[in-house]
Amino acid sequence: MSTTITLKADSGGFAENKDEARMIRTTRLLPVLDRGEEITLDFSEIRYATQSYVHVLINEALVKHGETALHLIEFKNCSQQLRSVIELVVDYSLDGFAPTATSTKVSQSH
Amino acid sequence: MSRFIVPNCAGIHTARSLMEINRPFEDDTTTAILQLHPRWAHMEPVALAMAAAWGAWQRRHGRSIRVENLGPNANYAARMHLFQHLGAAYAFGSAEHDERGRFLPLTQVRTGDDVRGVIGDLAGLLYLEDEPDGLAAVKYCVSELLRNVLEHSGSPDGAFVCAHRYTGKTPRVRVAVADCGAGIAGHLGQAHWDASIDDLVALGLAMQLGITGAVRGVYGTSNNAGAGLFFTRGIAKGTGGYFLLISERAGYRLRRWEQEPNVITPYPDPFDEPRSDRWRFEAGWRGTVVGVEIRTDRIADYQYFFQWMQKNARVMGPSKRRIRFA
Repeated sequence: MSTTITLKADSGGFAENKDEARMIRTTRLLPVLDRGEEITLDFSEIRYATQSYVHVLINEALVKHGETALHLIEFKNCSQQLRSVIELVVDYSLDGFAPTATSTKVSQSH
Repeated sequence: MSRFIVPNCAGIHTARSLMEINRPFEDDTTTAILQLHPRWAHMEPVALAMAAAWGAWQRRHGRSIRVENLGPNANYAARMHLFQHLGAAYAFGSAEHDERGRFLPLTQVRTGDDVRGVIGDLAGLLYLEDEPDGLAAVKYCVSELLRNVLEHSGSPDGAFVCAHRYTGKTPRVRVAVADCGAGIAGHLGQAHWDASIDDLVALGLAMQLGITGAVRGVYGTSNNAGAGLFFTRGIAKGTGGYFLLISERAGYRLRRWEQEPNVITPYPDPFDEPRSDRWRFEAGWRGTVVGVEIRTDRIADYQYFFQWMQKNARVMGPSKRRIRFA
């Protein structure tokens, strides 16, 4: 049996509420994945979302379950912006960012 | 003496001189002074947010606020509710107007509910309902900046935010968020030793993808990726607007790109940006200040912007995975 979660946005279709994303992750998303069941995240009410919102929603599931999570989660009704953000979060959650090297450049400051 | 001096023009353009003339956190008196310019006071959101955050810090430390040179020339600051937040009376004409269509007045944000309230008010206050992509860009920046303060600054006063919509030939929105919390080095230094010893290094790290003070690792934490300032900087640059970041004794500014309306390529390392300034200050700011300018007429391809970010974020793994979109 597949579970569907319809995600909510504000009146302008904008989702940024990390508290709500955290609640959905811990009470609904992770328990379903822990049982090895499929789940659908329905973004039909969301046009825009912050990267932080998507991160809080799915990062822990990806870190915990690895690529298996991608087999179990279906992302439904995503705008192109949402797709890009989801792809970004999936990629860095599974592989991380490239290392940085800032400290060598600050001596040029004035 | 704690004195916050506001010159005749206080905004993103003049951020460096604003910082250099001020030593606003001297601790040796019982009164703190906001010194306005005697003849003219042009305060942009960044200066207003700083003054409000500074006032809250001073009042929390038992100081009353005295405003010098207060007069009708400060009417805009009054309409932005600055003097209400400072606990100072303003009696020079009507300060109350309908703010809809022009600005979001100074608002103190302490909780997630407060963030949602500000986000919800933006559309109506800035009259951006007909520009959904521009509105989304503004909401994006405001949300990321406010949640950064709530999650990382440790400031008992929370954040102060305000915004102004400028219409005309170059329509734009300027947003500012200021706090008097731990500062970026204070937060990042928990996990990045180089940030803890150099405020400018801390700023550079904070504006890159994947840097968070919570955990030094490839994932951030389940609640923080460390990407908010990178995206905010990218949105500002992508529309040809300003981005300003000040924390402790360092400052960074990305200047406008007037001639290339389609430039949408923020460098991963902010110090590689050719149109950027970086500063060290003698006194500095106790906490963090961010100012962003978004050109709402240049945000037409908001979707593309995120595609670019996704392609160019320096992720180590494969860029194409089998994500099930339906």
